[in-house]
Amino acid sequence: MTNGAKPDRADVCIIGAGASGAAAAKVLTERGIRVVMLERGPWRTRETFGGDELANINRYNLWPDPLLNPRTVRDTVDGEFRTELFCPVPQMVGGGTVHWQGWLPRFTEEDFRLHSIVGDVPGTTLVDWPITYDDLESYYTQIEWAFGVSGRAGANRYESRRSKDYPCPPLPQSRYAQKFHQGCAKLGYNSFPTPQAALSRPFNGRPATVISAFAQQHGDPTGTRSSALNVFVPDALATGRLDLRPDSYVSEITVDERGRAKGAVYSDEDGTTFEQEADVVILACGAVETARLLLLSKSSRFPNGLANGSDLVGRNVTFHEYSAAVGTFEDPIYAWAGGGYVSASSFEFNGHDDNRGFAGGGHIACAGVGIPLPINWSLPNRPAWGAEAKQIDRDYFNHSMAVAMVVHDLPQHDNRVELDDTVTDAWGLPVARITIIAHENDLAMGRFLIDQNAEILAAAGATSVQKVYIDRITGNCSHQHGTTRMGNDPEASVLDRWCRSHEVANLFVVDGGPFPTGTGINPTLTIMANAWRVADHIVSAGADRTAAH
Amino acid sequence: MTSQQPDLATTSRVFDDHQRATIEAAMARIIPTDDTPGAREAGTMDFLNRYLSGIDYIYAKPDGSGFEQLSGKRAEAWRQRIERVRERYISGVRDLDERAGQVHNADFVDLAPEHQDEILRDLEQPSRTQEADLERARTTLYGAPVEPALQQTSAEVDLDFVPLLALHTRQGFYADPIYGGNRNRVGWDVIGFPGPASLTEVHTGRYSTLDYFADDREHPGAKEAT
Repeated sequence: MTNGAKPDRADVCIIGAGASGAAAAKVLTERGIRVVMLERGPWRTRETFGGDELANINRYNLWPDPLLNPRTVRDTVDGEFRTELFCPVPQMVGGGTVHWQGWLPRFTEEDFRLHSIVGDVPGTTLVDWPITYDDLESYYTQIEWAFGVSGRAGANRYESRRSKDYPCPPLPQSRYAQKFHQGCAKLGYNSFPTPQAALSRPFNGRPATVISAFAQQHGDPTGTRSSALNVFVPDALATGRLDLRPDSYVSEITVDERGRAKGAVYSDEDGTTFEQEADVVILACGAVETARLLLLSKSSRFPNGLANGSDLVGRNVTFHEYSAAVGTFEDPIYAWAGGGYVSASSFEFNGHDDNRGFAGGGHIACAGVGIPLPINWSLPNRPAWGAEAKQIDRDYFNHSMAVAMVVHDLPQHDNRVELDDTVTDAWGLPVARITIIAHENDLAMGRFLIDQNAEILAAAGATSVQKVYIDRITGNCSHQHGTTRMGNDPEASVLDRWCRSHEVANLFVVDGGPFPTGTGINPTLTIMANAWRVADHIVSAGADRTAAH
Repeated sequence: MTSQQPDLATTSRVFDDHQRATIEAAMARIIPTDDTPGAREAGTMDFLNRYLSGIDYIYAKPDGSGFEQLSGKRAEAWRQRIERVRERYISGVRDLDERAGQVHNADFVDLAPEHQDEILRDLEQPSRTQEADLERARTTLYGAPVEPALQQTSAEVDLDFVPLLALHTRQGFYADPIYGGNRNRVGWDVIGFPGPASLTEVHTGRYSTLDYFADDREHPGAKEAT
């Protein structure tokens, strides 16, 4: 039911031009494959980005507009769903990498097999990954070197084997990173410069990254940060084999009479609809939107949504949770400098320890408290307005910093993404409806990590420390995983170890959806490395491409 | 160095004189003037007026050369949002005066500052006492966010009047001067932020904050690693 002229068939059609889609497009096109990449949002150039907190954070210049792209969410079993901008990610070419500051640590060897280490955790669906660290190691290296990651090999005591150093040394040390190192050193903890998607020196013809205060959650007008937009998209375009179509909103993946993915139905900015056919379809919409698209793609063969015979599409969703202890110091910290996320990290509490009373752990790192101004931050006991609020702004702006955590929220069968039955987006399609109930393990981990973070601040000389515990999963990390988990058992997973649907032989997912667990580490490096691995496999194995002809 | 200061004379008036004076007085309680400038000196009322004057001042062009023209679904969403926010201000002013009339037999704008604070707190109460609302406000950043630097933005159309007023006052105090507030960068001066001279400085890559990094630019352990 399309009204536009049928586009030429593609070898591969990728849905979503963010971190994972663009990484896959680069690998495929560089190996001779013709790719059409459909992106629902605009293709913005660096000239359209700027240092404007009001536009970028408050007025949806980069974030999705909740009036156009709402989601609904509940955090209790029987609760009402409320409409909310839950776990948003920028919808444009480059996706979340357009506005991130890009903390890019690798997962460790243990992160891929937490179930083997801790066993069953009641109420969760904790499993090992069907792949190991070694399966990804060479792809981590590929991403780090293609992308330009600044870091120092070996500085993280808990890092697993690596075959190559980082391409660029760490970014300069911020004052907040220095405090973090000092606090950790005093307590005997290992700390390291956070590996980042930015260039500490010129690399691959790109100049070193500008140390602006407008970085985290701001687009990069200088084009010097490492993002899918600045790196992978140009690489793929340079091959002449990428047809990138922005403002192309996919509403359905169609299937042929044999139950294989046939193509993608999408509408352009003017509302004209097309069907793009391809031998292989790769979903890279982010774990929430990929699940939504599969559930929207109902057919007689797949009445519960494409690739959803197992009823697992959308289930086991995890989001991480970000919170922090905040310390104030007598000497200035200027934690807005560099945008607040030119940081130092520790994996001291990432690995599992039976003595802590919960399973797993997470990455901690220092950060600013604003992004960068005191428009979009506060503290639990700060009044919303008045003389005291103003005084706190003054006291904190130059003298405070956060030590933050990434909580590894464990997967649960009933935490899931579904289609909402009443709320639709501005295109008339049902929005993603999310049920996310924190497990006691998530909350216990959060308390523990925040307590450690507070101690690090105190050890660094903070004169006051405030702890901000979590009491639920709010989606505030914009990280999303698990909705199409990969595994070896078709009864217990949506995708195989190559991130190919168990049920649809030419359908792949390369975003965070395949992650069986979210781990406690920022996911995008691993998402991109895995996308590279899958793309590599699609080329090498032919991946049934011939069967479609 | 002074920043780009917009010419506000051409912006149409959204509120009548009484509404304007009332909102301006309320904003002056959100960020009061003390030994340093407050909302009044920063021109947060001009900021709000410009914001709500239509959809011509939603996004500054990132090089500072003017404002973006919106179209399509985006423009429609903004028209809706501006309309709803305007209405909330108009009913908010009515509520302030009604409460001021009941308690002090005067308009809000004519009350002493401490009485204005009382009225604002009163008006804030209903939503505060509703457990669910509070929980929601606490965890989703509506209005006055309560956690450090979260990765998520707020949805102001859902805010009650006082949190909305507080949010816009902060925005008008700290946002780039191109939006009509933060006059002469007083907001930045109050907190000690060496912000860019203009959006152009950021856009061209000339604005750097490297001078505010640690004196020792090397992370510890560099020597052992090499």
